Amino acid sequence: MASVELQGLTKRFGALAVVDDVSLRVDHGLLMCLLGPSGCGKTTTLRLVAGFIEPSAGKIRVGERTVSTPGRTLPPEQRNMSMIFQSYALWPHMTVAENIVYGLRLRKVDRETIANKLAAILATTRLAALIDRYPGELSGGQQQRVALARAMIVEPETLLLDEPLSNLDANLREEMRFEVRRLHDQYRYTSIYVTHDQAEAMTTADLIAVMNAGKIEQVGTPEDVYDRPQSEFVARFIGSSNILKGRNLDDFRIEFAGIPLRCVGIKLAPGAATSVSIRQHDIRFIAAPAETAENVLSGKILRQVFLGGSRDYMVELSNGTQLRVVAPAGENIAPGTSVWLHLPAERCRALAR
Amino acid sequence: MSVASPARTARPARIDFSQPVLIAFAAVLCVLIALPLSWLVYFGFTDRTGAFTLENFGRLLADPAFVEPLLITLVIAISVGVICCLVAAPMGWLVARTDMPFRRTVRMLVMASFVTPPFLGAVAWELLAAPNSGLLNQAYRALTGASPDRHLFDIYSLPGLIFVIACYTMPYVFVLVSNALDRIPGDLEDASAILGGRTADTARRVTIPLVLPAVLAGALVAFLQAMTLFGSPAILAIPAGFHTMTTKIWSLFHYPPKPELAAAASLPLLLLTVVLLRAEHAILGRRGYSVVGGRQSDPRLVRLGALKWLALAFCFVLLLNPIFLPYGALLNAAFSRVASQVLSPGNFTLHNIEFVFFELSATKLALKNTFLLGVSAATIGTVFALVIGYVTARKAVTHWRALEFLATAPVAIPGIVLGVGLFLSYSRAPFILYGTLWILLIAFVTISLPAAYQQLQSAFRSVHSELEDASRILGATRLRALAGITAPLLRTGVIATWCFIFVGVIRELSAAIMLFTSETKVVSVLIFDLNESGDLAAISVLGIMMLVITFAVVILANRIPGFSGGVRLRDA
Repeated sequence: MASVELQGLTKRFGALAVVDDVSLRVDHGLLMCLLGPSGCGKTTTLRLVAGFIEPSAGKIRVGERTVSTPGRTLPPEQRNMSMIFQSYALWPHMTVAENIVYGLRLRKVDRETIANKLAAILATTRLAALIDRYPGELSGGQQQRVALARAMIVEPETLLLDEPLSNLDANLREEMRFEVRRLHDQYRYTSIYVTHDQAEAMTTADLIAVMNAGKIEQVGTPEDVYDRPQSEFVARFIGSSNILKGRNLDDFRIEFAGIPLRCVGIKLAPGAATSVSIRQHDIRFIAAPAETAENVLSGKILRQVFLGGSRDYMVELSNGTQLRVVAPAGENIAPGTSVWLHLPAERCRALAR
Repeated sequence: MSVASPARTARPARIDFSQPVLIAFAAVLCVLIALPLSWLVYFGFTDRTGAFTLENFGRLLADPAFVEPLLITLVIAISVGVICCLVAAPMGWLVARTDMPFRRTVRMLVMASFVTPPFLGAVAWELLAAPNSGLLNQAYRALTGASPDRHLFDIYSLPGLIFVIACYTMPYVFVLVSNALDRIPGDLEDASAILGGRTADTARRVTIPLVLPAVLAGALVAFLQAMTLFGSPAILAIPAGFHTMTTKIWSLFHYPPKPELAAAASLPLLLLTVVLLRAEHAILGRRGYSVVGGRQSDPRLVRLGALKWLALAFCFVLLLNPIFLPYGALLNAAFSRVASQVLSPGNFTLHNIEFVFFELSATKLALKNTFLLGVSAATIGTVFALVIGYVTARKAVTHWRALEFLATAPVAIPGIVLGVGLFLSYSRAPFILYGTLWILLIAFVTISLPAAYQQLQSAFRSVHSELEDASRILGATRLRALAGITAPLLRTGVIATWCFIFVGVIRELSAAIMLFTSETKVVSVLIFDLNESGDLAAISVLGIMMLVITFAVVILANRIPGFSGGVRLRDA
């Protein structure tokens, strides 16, 4: 039973720290998503865990074993892990069946057990009809399922997934997200899943670690990182938020566009500047406000786009800040109209960074 | 999957043999390349007593017997470079970008001249254009009634030598230019056309600038080939009474041998080669042809209209010189009683064949040596290239760049220079290999390494590294992953590399000429010897046999699916 733990993990290529002092713990049976834009170091982190590269500093522990330290790295083949690659990495000269049972053959598992396991995994991944095909004869989704089957049949302690769905088209990608989650629920391998797609992370992960520029910005459940972002980067990257910047008035209000804006999240230090995030769909259009109304701003519609289920507005405030507001499609406000916006205080999150 | 499996339990750690194996390969490479070069430098800078001196270079610059070959070599190299560009670049364009008929045939014929050993071409041109006996001169006299002492061509002359070298250097430029044109996506030209560019505008502003680096690089390569060639100048220049650098270096080993001068004369050749190769790299490397992103469309072919037949005639007239005429002359000489007589029912004979294979005692030995060396050099060279290609393509060790440098370094060592270096290294203690086949084997492996390495390294790059990673994370060691995954995927590349080393070895002359002894003659050296004794008919028989073997192997290599030819062969 193995957890995976990264302690102060750092990987430098020349002077550049691609992975910079990352500490993270994935408890047994959980699926942790490393989420971040391309170039943030998430794939390097995964390859460090796999043992393909050696850390410059820090260490990686799997259960009680230390598997990676600078200068001493257990080779990948001795880690009892499996990995699903972005390119799937199916061997073109082997059939589907040969690809899948490769790991079991290496482990010198007897014929009968191999046959049983193969049958089981083929049923789970719905590949039974394709076992004699070569990878070149499969569709993208089928190749993806073979890659999943090949990785899981060896019953690894740890399963690593490197952008496994990025080569699929949009529909299939959505379907496979649930497939990955279903298989994880079935087998409960400790998993690390790298992706840049937040919807993918939301669907599949128990925990999401948001990475940026080699560092971890925030770790939490999907609800945590979505509803309670701790940094401007997380607020912008997960969903898309409006960021409002202002000077702190007291413990819970900043001054923004001439009004005090009440917010939640962290206790504010008076006098300092703070960024506040609010989701586009949390802002509401209201009729003329009452005198006592809080967090109400006036603005003018610059443009709007009809998106079917909703309308996407760009609103310019009196101080020139532009906010995006997503509102129900039923109400149609023409560009040029002056409007009142309500930013509910419980949705305005003050950000620590 | 619910069954508790033995796979769960941690398997005992295995020793990874890959590091020691790699270190051993690196060490062998070092010896292979560093040893001959250090002896060259040592001899170049010392006198007979072993004391440091610059006198060898001083003599080289002061003595007209050395300065003249140097100047002649430069004249030859520059002329060949210019001629090749003027002739081969248009041909490359015609084949790659126009609707000229028989484009594939022209390509094939150029490739045929590519693999023809230049020294064989030189002998064939002796048959064609020797002042008295040359077939073309005979024809000229017969047609014009000129007196027997008149001749139209004299191949034993500087222009004659330049002509023959250009014939067999042209393919290098052709290949570079046509490949570059093949790689320019049609989109680039279409984009110019849609913006209003006429065919001529597009050619001038887009196509030609894109292909110009390749033409320049081709000129440099042609220069280099002409400069380091040994066979053709030895066959044509020496009877004409002059030397090039390579023949001069060779003659320095005639009695009394002057190895220190030979070493000193080799070093400038080496230096110049390195400089030119760097220049070629810089030219090709900067703008490059790596066209980023998107699907490439096939180029649209330029319509030549009626001119296309003229273009075809141009190509075929050019191909007369390296292919049709020489091959004809060789066939003629092989079956004719007198090599310089046109074949007729009256003088047809199989005696030459009988002579070469049954009477000439040297043939059997030379064939055996050549075959033995070809097979072993190809095998060893392929294994080396495979291992180093793997290491560098996968960056498997920290100092992979050093290995890459070592593997590609021999490309900058002209055959004759390597021959001198190896002679100096292995004709004294502690390694006395001179007089054995081993020294030739070392030479051939070293010479073929760069091309083989480049070939296999790019093959490795085409096999996605995640394919190996996937195998390792499932429990395979590095060597196991190589054997089970990478090797099968590389099979075609490996066979092709083997074939091309084999072909390269059987046509090698310039290193072999420095290293052979009577017991270790190879076919190319035998041909060179027969030329000195004037036995052109026997050469023709041997030459035709060599060509047949070469073409058979090349065709075999090209038949392998998934392999596109175009390995650069070194010149003999």
